[in-house]
Amino acid sequence: MICCKECIDLLCDYFEGTLNPDTAASLEDHFKDCPPCVSFLETYRQTSDLCRKTLTPVEIPEPVQIKLREFVKNYIQSP
Amino acid sequence: MPTQEEKEQDEILVRDMKAGHMEAFDKIFELYQRRIYALSFNMTRNQMDAQDVTQEVLLTIYRKIDTFQGKSAFSSWVYRITLNATYMKLRTKKKEQYVSLDEGLPNFNHAGFQNEKISDWSKSTDSLLFSNETKGVIEKAVELLPEKEKVVFILRDIEGLSTEKVGDILDLTIPAVKSRLHRARLFLRKRLSNYFDEYKTRSSKK
Ligand SMILES: [Zn+2]
Repeated sequence: MICCKECIDLLCDYFEGTLNPDTAASLEDHFKDCPPCVSFLETYRQTSDLCRKTLTPVEIPEPVQIKLREFVKNYIQSP
Repeated sequence: MPTQEEKEQDEILVRDMKAGHMEAFDKIFELYQRRIYALSFNMTRNQMDAQDVTQEVLLTIYRKIDTFQGKSAFSSWVYRITLNATYMKLRTKKKEQYVSLDEGLPNFNHAGFQNEKISDWSKSTDSLLFSNETKGVIEKAVELLPEKEKVVFILRDIEGLSTEKVGDILDLTIPAVKSRLHRARLFLRKRLSNYFDEYKTRSSKK
């Protein structure tokens, strides 16, 4: 049986869907009998999701937009 | 990830920029400005720095478009210029103490099986997951990542680019991108787990 450490090493490929089907199947077999790995997997996945939702979208603040427009006008459109 | 259509649009705009058409620059700036700013802001977490970097990148596109040879996508070129300008900014600052990424893995016994309880906070309430305190923890944790892992994590998981695209931008193989991404995720997961565990203890004492 594949051990926890091997499963965790393969998590990135597992979520990318790039594992060969046999390896993916042995991972899923392991997860059936291993609650700690399931918790690990869920929190691993949630880490990416949560970070993305928390840090995006970054919008350019209005004062910066004004500065950028001025910059383009002064240095690029009429250099 | 740019669609085929966006790629073709970029190609036309690149041709027009090389021919010196001002409208093509305006259009490119409009299309890329937010992405340039966002990447730089997530790397520096500083509005002034991100503004400086954005200005510099726009100017570089304007001045150096003739040197763009089209070997990789235009967007990759822009991301690379953005990262170079961002690194220059970061170099001028005091270096943060980076952490060791080893601490991302759980404890294993000699056979490679886990021997600690792993708490699953992934289904916590939105009010906890999206609290300001959690946001602060995430920002701090991402900031602590070493540069190599940080840039991969931001491009792939925050900006949502594909693994292939990240490899193209950073000139890394796919396995190298994945291994950096994995290390970053393990570290961040651990930080978040520590925080949520501590939060649980804190609220049960109340
Ligand atoms: Zn396991």
